[in-house]
Formats: sequence, C-alpha cells, structure tokens
Amino acid sequence: MSVKPPSRVELLQGTLDLLILQTLLAGPTHGHAIAKHIQRTSEDLLQVETGSLYPALHRLEAKGWISATWELSDKGKRAKYYRLTPLGRKQLATEQSKWQAFSRAMGLIVNPEVL
Amino acid sequence: MISFFRKLTWLMRRRRKEDELGEELRFHLEEEAEQRQTEGLAAEQARWAALRDLGSIASVQENTRVSWGWTTLEQLGQDVRYALRTMLANKAFTALAALSLALGIGANTAIYSFMDTLLLRSLPVQDPGSLVLLNWQAAGRGQDAERSPSIMHGVHTRSGSSYRDPQKGYIGGIVPYAAFELFRKDDSAFTSVFAHYQPSSFTLSVKGEADIASGEYVSGDFFRGLGVPAASGRLIVSDDDRAGAEPVAILSHSLSQSRFGGPAQAVGQSILINNIAFTVAGVTPPEFFGVNPGIAPDFYLPMHANLLFGGDIAGWYLAQNTYWIEVMARLRPGVSIQAAQATWAAPFRQWVESTATNDQERANLPVLLIREGGGGLDALRRRYSKPLYMLMTLVGFILAIACANIANLLLARATARRREMAVRLGMGATRSRVVRQLLTESILLASLGGILGLLVAYGSIRFLTLLLGNGALHSSLDWHVMGLAGALSLLTGVVFGLVPAIQSTRADVIPALKEVRASHTPSRFRVSLSQVLIVAQIALSLLMLVAAGLFIRTLSNLQSVQLGFNRDNLLLFQLNARQAGHQDAEITSFYTELQKRFNALPGVRIASLSHESLLNAGTGQPISVPGAERDSKTRLLYVGPAFFTTMQIPILLGRDIDDRDQPGSPAVVVISEQFAKKNFGEENPLGRHLTLGGRDPRDMEIVGVVREARYGGLKREVPPVVYIPYNQGSHKAVAEMTFVLRTSSDPLGFVNTVREIAHQADARVPVSNVQTQSAQIDELMGQEIAFAKLCSAFAFLALVVACVGLYGTLSYNIARRTGEIGIRMALGARRGSVVWMVLRDVVVFAAAGLAISVPIALATSTLVASFLFDMKPNDPLALTLAVVILLASALLAGYAPARKASRIDPMIALRHQ
Repeated sequence: MSVKPPSRVELLQGTLDLLILQTLLAGPTHGHAIAKHIQRTSEDLLQVETGSLYPALHRLEAKGWISATWELSDKGKRAKYYRLTPLGRKQLATEQSKWQAFSRAMGLIVNPEVL
Repeated sequence: MISFFRKLTWLMRRRRKEDELGEELRFHLEEEAEQRQTEGLAAEQARWAALRDLGSIASVQENTRVSWGWTTLEQLGQDVRYALRTMLANKAFTALAALSLALGIGANTAIYSFMDTLLLRSLPVQDPGSLVLLNWQAAGRGQDAERSPSIMHGVHTRSGSSYRDPQKGYIGGIVPYAAFELFRKDDSAFTSVFAHYQPSSFTLSVKGEADIASGEYVSGDFFRGLGVPAASGRLIVSDDDRAGAEPVAILSHSLSQSRFGGPAQAVGQSILINNIAFTVAGVTPPEFFGVNPGIAPDFYLPMHANLLFGGDIAGWYLAQNTYWIEVMARLRPGVSIQAAQATWAAPFRQWVESTATNDQERANLPVLLIREGGGGLDALRRRYSKPLYMLMTLVGFILAIACANIANLLLARATARRREMAVRLGMGATRSRVVRQLLTESILLASLGGILGLLVAYGSIRFLTLLLGNGALHSSLDWHVMGLAGALSLLTGVVFGLVPAIQSTRADVIPALKEVRASHTPSRFRVSLSQVLIVAQIALSLLMLVAAGLFIRTLSNLQSVQLGFNRDNLLLFQLNARQAGHQDAEITSFYTELQKRFNALPGVRIASLSHESLLNAGTGQPISVPGAERDSKTRLLYVGPAFFTTMQIPILLGRDIDDRDQPGSPAVVVISEQFAKKNFGEENPLGRHLTLGGRDPRDMEIVGVVREARYGGLKREVPPVVYIPYNQGSHKAVAEMTFVLRTSSDPLGFVNTVREIAHQADARVPVSNVQTQSAQIDELMGQEIAFAKLCSAFAFLALVVACVGLYGTLSYNIARRTGEIGIRMALGARRGSVVWMVLRDVVVFAAAGLAISVPIALATSTLVASFLFDMKPNDPLALTLAVVILLASALLAGYAPARKASRIDPMIALRHQ
C-alpha cells in the first residue's frame, strides 16, 4: 500500500473532470503533465491517482469534451496530447459555476463566522 | 456484408486503441521514472516507484476500456469463450452435468407438455373465458356411487361426461334435448347455446376405401358459438341441423389432409358414413380439436343427422327423461357465471320438476350447475390429472437431484479453482466481474442441458403418448413448453451457479494463493453445503426407489392375475357389417360365413367371435332365474360358436355354443361357474331356464357351465356372466363383432390375410382394432406399465446421479486428505481401517438420507394408493428393497474412493507436503 503524506486530501467524487478541463485550459498537454500540474498547483494537497486519471481522460474524450493527438514531447518522445474542444469549454464553464455554488454553500455552513 | 465490414473496422479500431493505451501508459511510466530520478532516486528504484505509483496496469487498462463503451458485450464474449474452453477442458464434468440436467429438464418438459395440453390450456377458440358448461348436480341415492339418479330413464352416453364428485354428489354432463331447447329460449344470459354429444366410431368410406373414424354430432350453433372459422368451405349452420336437411359433414383438418390431400380438395366431395352419403361442406382449422382436449374427432355431423342411421333416435329428441346431449353456452358480456346460474336456476328447476314421474324422483331433482367451459370438457382432465401430477412430482425430484448434483460438482470445482479466483482477484478483477464469469459458465452449462433436454423431451413425449393414453392422447412441443424448458435451464444455471460462485470469490486472496494441497483439513463436524446436497440426493433417491418398488409390484400383481383363458397366440379384430350397410338377418349370415373362412385358414386352429372382447366387455341386461332374486351384477356376452374352445375356457358341465345353435333353434345359454353357484347352489343347472329381460323377454335353456374368465378388465372383480349365442336375437341389434383367432404361430403374421378375407367378403367393411390378446392386456395395464417403467427408469437415474455425486465428493475429500491419510498409514493404520474410515462417511450420509426419507415415504405412499393393485401402500417388501438397494449402491459408490485412499503410499503422500 502506498503511504500518503498526512497533508494530502482525497479528491472529491466528480471533481476530477473539472480539474482536468481546467488544466487543459492553459493549453494541450499529456496525461502525466496533467497529473503533475494538478499536484503542483494544489501545493501537493491533491494527488491524482493514475488509476483514475486515464479512465477519466478516455471518458472525457468519448464525450467529446477533449480531443487527443499524438505529438512529440519537448524531450522528443511520442506522447498523447489532450486539448479542450469548444464543447469542453462550455462544459468547463458549467462545471466551474457548479463548483463555485457548491463551495460557497459549503463555506456558508462550515465557516458561518466569516460573514 | 456491410455488418461484416463494420465489425472488421470495429475490431481494427479496437486493436489500435488498445495499442495506443499501452503506449500512453508506457510514456506515463517513463515520465514518472524520469521525474523521480531528477528527485534523486537511482534509475532502477525510480522505475519501481513509478510502477508502484501506477498500480496494476491491467486494472488501469480494464477501467479505461470501460469508458470506451463496448465492454459489457465484449466481456460477455470473453466469458462465453472462456466458459467454452473450460467446459471442453473438463469433458467428463461437462458431459455428466449436461446429461443429468438434460434428463431432468427433458422429463419435466415432457410431462409438462401433457399437463399443458390436458389440464392448463384453454380451447383454441374465440374468447374461451366466456364459455360455460351447462351441467347439473344431484345428491344421488345411497352408497351406489356409480348409479345415475332415477330421473334419468334413458341414458345414452359414453363414460366421462357424468361422474360422482365426493363433495357435490352426482355431476351430470348430459341433459335431455328438451333442456337444450329450454336454454335456447331466453338469451338474457347467453349469446349462444349449443350442444354436441361425444364422438363415436363410424365406418367412413372415401373413394371406395373404408376405414373406422370418430365423428361428433354437433348442434347448428356449435361452430358459431365457439367462434371457430372454417379453414375451407363452410362449417355447420343452423339450417343443417334439422330432420330432412341435406346431409353434410365437416372434416377435421388432419382427416382432410390424410384422405383428400388438403382442405381445399375435400370441400364438395361425397363421402359415405356408415354407408350413407354425405357431402363435405367444410374443414375445421388445424388447431381446432373439438371441445375435449386430448381427443380430436375426425369429422363433425349436424346433430339431426343421427336420424339417418336408423334406430329409435327420433324418440330421443322427444323423451323428457332420456339424457344424452352435452350443452355449452357463451355468456353475454358482463354476465358472470353466478348471475347466469341465478337467472336459470328457477326455470331449470321448473322444467325438471315437470319431467319427474314419481315422488322418489321429485324428492331428488337435479339442480342446475353452470361451470367454466374455457378449458373444454373435463373428462380426460379428471382421469389424467392425478397420474400427471404424480409423474410431475417424480420428474420434479429428478430435476432436484440433477440440480443438487450440478451444484455439488460446481462447488467442488469452485474449491479446486480457488487459486485461479485468487489470482484473478489479486490482479484487480472486481468480485462482481468474477461472479459474472462463473455465472456465465453455469448458465452455459445449463443451456446445454436445456437443449439436450428438449431432445429428451421430444423423445419422451412420443413414448408417453403411447404409454399413458394408448395413443389416444396428443401432445406436442410448442412455445409454452419450450419456454418452460428455457426458464428451467436458466433458473438452474443461475441458482446453482450463484452459490458456488459467491463462495469461491469470498476467498481471501493471500491464504488462497499460499494454500498447499492437504494443508486444509475440514473439521469433521462442520456440515458443509455439499454434504447437505448429498444427503438430499440420497433422500430423494430413496423416495423414487420406493415408488418404483410399489409400481413394479403392482404391475407384477396385475400380470399374475388369473385370466381364465389362454392369452397366447390369439388375434383380435373388429368388424362392423351394419355400418357398412348390411341388414338385420343377413348380418348374422355374413359373420357366420366369415367365421367359416377364418376357420379354414391354414395356421388358424380355430376362430370365434363375440360382441365385445372379453376384457373390454361390459354389457348388462336384466336376467332372471325363475324363483331366484334378480341380480343387477350379472353381465352378459353375445358369443359365436366354439367361443370357449377358442378362448380355451374350460367347460365344466355341458357343452360349448356350437353350430346347432341357429336363429330359430331352441334358445340356449352358457353360464359361468359363479352364476351357477349363486343361482343354483349345488344343484345341476343344466336344463334349467333363464329369462333375458328387455323389450321382448326371452326364455333360454342352460346347456353349459364354464370356468370363471376375466370380464371387463383386469382389476375389477369378475362378475357372474352369461354367454348367449349372438345369432339367436339379442336385446340390441347385432352390429359390431370382435373376432378371435387362435393361431399356431405369431398371430400378427395373419393380419394381412385377415384383411384380405374381409375385403373379399365386403370391401365396405373395414377391419379395425387389430391386436393380439397380449397387446390388449398390455393396453389395459397401460398406466401400470407406464408407471412401473417410468418409475424404475427415474429411480435408476436418481440413484446413478446420487451415486456419482457421492463418488465425486468422496474422491475430492480424499484428495484433500492425502497428507492426513499418509500420516495415519505411516503411524501404522491398516488398509482396512482406512477403507472403513471412508465408508463410515458413506454410512453416515446414507443414514442421514434414510432418516429423512423413510418417514416421508411412509407418510406419502398412501397418496399413491389409488394407483396400486392388490397391495398396501406401505408395502414392507418394497420399502426394505429400496433401502437395501440404496445402501448397496452408496457403499459401491464409496468403495472405489475408499480403496484408492487405502492404496496411498505414505512416503509419496508425506513428500507432497
């Protein structure tokens, strides 16, 4: 069993799609880079399991939200690059607003004194 | 072709995607390893860390494939392929499992098809739900259960339409014609009322070829009321059903095909029925079989056509107390049976009251009883429902045993495959996925059993048709029955595959992988599912063995019944000269002439005739001895010359009927020993006189006394019988006669010659019901033979299946206990004690099975009492025999594994550890 640092948090169910779409907003990239980007940007709080990353990528591709092409990486190796499709952008917008509503709702309940 | 290409591109795309996924993951691993290396890990360590991080590649791939969308179907394909491979790899297992299931499913399907035909299915007519039977019930008189109520002065029916119901008293299916007319008067409850009477046999001559066929008389509204359309031409209408109408006949679909080549060709043709010309007006649809399930008439005639055949039929239409027709009706929409009953109870009562002729009749009048008629008449249903339910129970047992056996085999195999399952689970397969795969295997196995079962069913339906109803019953495989077979196999597949599947996937991965053979000794006192199954199989087998024992003894009791005549080398056949157009006095000379010709045949020792064959006889007529009390038990038989010599019934006193006894010569009679004892005691009856009652009483002189011979079946008590020369006038006109030929070689060798002779004498007279005396006896014991054969086959089957299960379980246990047994033997255990150790298990299984089943057998065998002859249901011999056979077979099944266990070499066994 892999040992996780205690500071890490589990990904919430259903948020991986949003994270992937958000990451791809910055430009096309491959699966490994997506995982690393999420990990880095979240200050190592979020760790994307490879076991769920690739199924998720393929699922999003099947839905037509992202598309994939084989390109050479900066190190000159063949890699599968994913990019947002127009449909994906629209989906990202909905997911974002859903998430914002959700986190605001959570905030209201968990930190009432902030208001 | 298009779909083929689509499939091809699909497969190619699929392959490419698979490759791409592999490459993608490989790239991921390389990137990850590279990154770890930059973080300061050694190259090798970095690679391992990356792999660990990714987890099971197979599992990632599997999960990713799910998102491609075609997995379910693909996995099914995989499962089926894998299942087929495992089935092929374990041929013995597959064959055994499929075969036992096939027998179980096949037997159930076959019996069910009969139940469906006779007991469950509705008539193939329009809206059968609204059809009703107009019957009546009466309390009847005293203990004389068979006797019809005294209001019925004249009864013209074949058996079945009226019977005694234990709760309701006497149920009458037949009414006088006047009652039918009464029901037709008021249409407030019924949209139509129609009548028919039971089929009888006719001589049907088509294009000069005569044969016996069954015909049913129906009223003019019969087909319209049932809502049956014509397959060709038209069916009987009201105008056909009146005295003096143009004679028309409606053929059944099958008769039109066999005699004319099809419905269209039959319409408009002329046929002779009992030598009277009829025109074929139409043909019924192929699925229509009349209103009596299981018995299909060959043709239908308008009711009033019976006037054409002579006799005093015209009187039947007028007589208020002559009961002869069966009435059905269709309820008006919205009218319930209860409402119709309420509407008609009073008018019927009024009418029936008006027909009573004395106070005794008035005190016990029939009451109208309207019953559901959607299933048609229920005579056959009453007769066969009990045997069919009993057979259904027995075949249900067979299926249960087969299922238990399969579950056991699957359980044993599941245990053997624990490591395989552990590997699958360990590699990341989900439990549901593995269960699904195991279920696919068991369902596939069950389907194989089901398909084979249909073949078994097809064969056994034909066999049962002959056994059960002497060919009178008809049943076939149709979608109802096929559906049952399919459902049964699916159910067995799921139910008996699920438990082992769940059990084998419950295994903890690590211990199962580490498990070494023989390290796991099951504790002796834990009762496992497989042991329960074995005990259940043994218990069921014993029940079947007991049933088989009872029926075999019944059959042997029947077979050893004293006939009173010699059954060997006797040929029986029937001729009906009257139906072919012969007239009164001339009929006797026609038969006399024929008898002479048969007598002259080389190879025929002697020939005679009687109006019914002895074993099918059942004619009663008042016969009185002057000065003695009248006895309603006496039966009579009209016989020809040399009857007793031909049948080899010993003549005790006096002489046989012979050529001296002519029409016009002094009337004589031969009596049975019992009749003589009863009426004359020790006195010599020769020369004494009897009076045959009826319309013109006749005085007859006793010229002979003969030994008792079976009359009217095998089971019934032999009644006192009087034998009267058929040609000296009888209470009814001479028509059909049964000839008996005593031959010197196989009687069936004479059939063609007999037909030729009859054909030469008169081509219009068909020879029917040709059979040997032995065949007739077998036919009379049809149900007993069927039960004895079926039950012993079933019991044998059950025993084999149970023993195989026992053998398998024991062998498996011994294989697992090899180490233990090795140690025991190394410590000095003798071979004998090892054998005993294994056989002890067998004895425990058998004892547990017996402890359950013997009380059940004792309690339930009374249920089959009505099927037994000359024995008690709790026959100790049958029970003991069953127990002994069961124990012997169980020990035999256990001996082989036990012997194998005793041959275990301690050194080899221990080295195995």
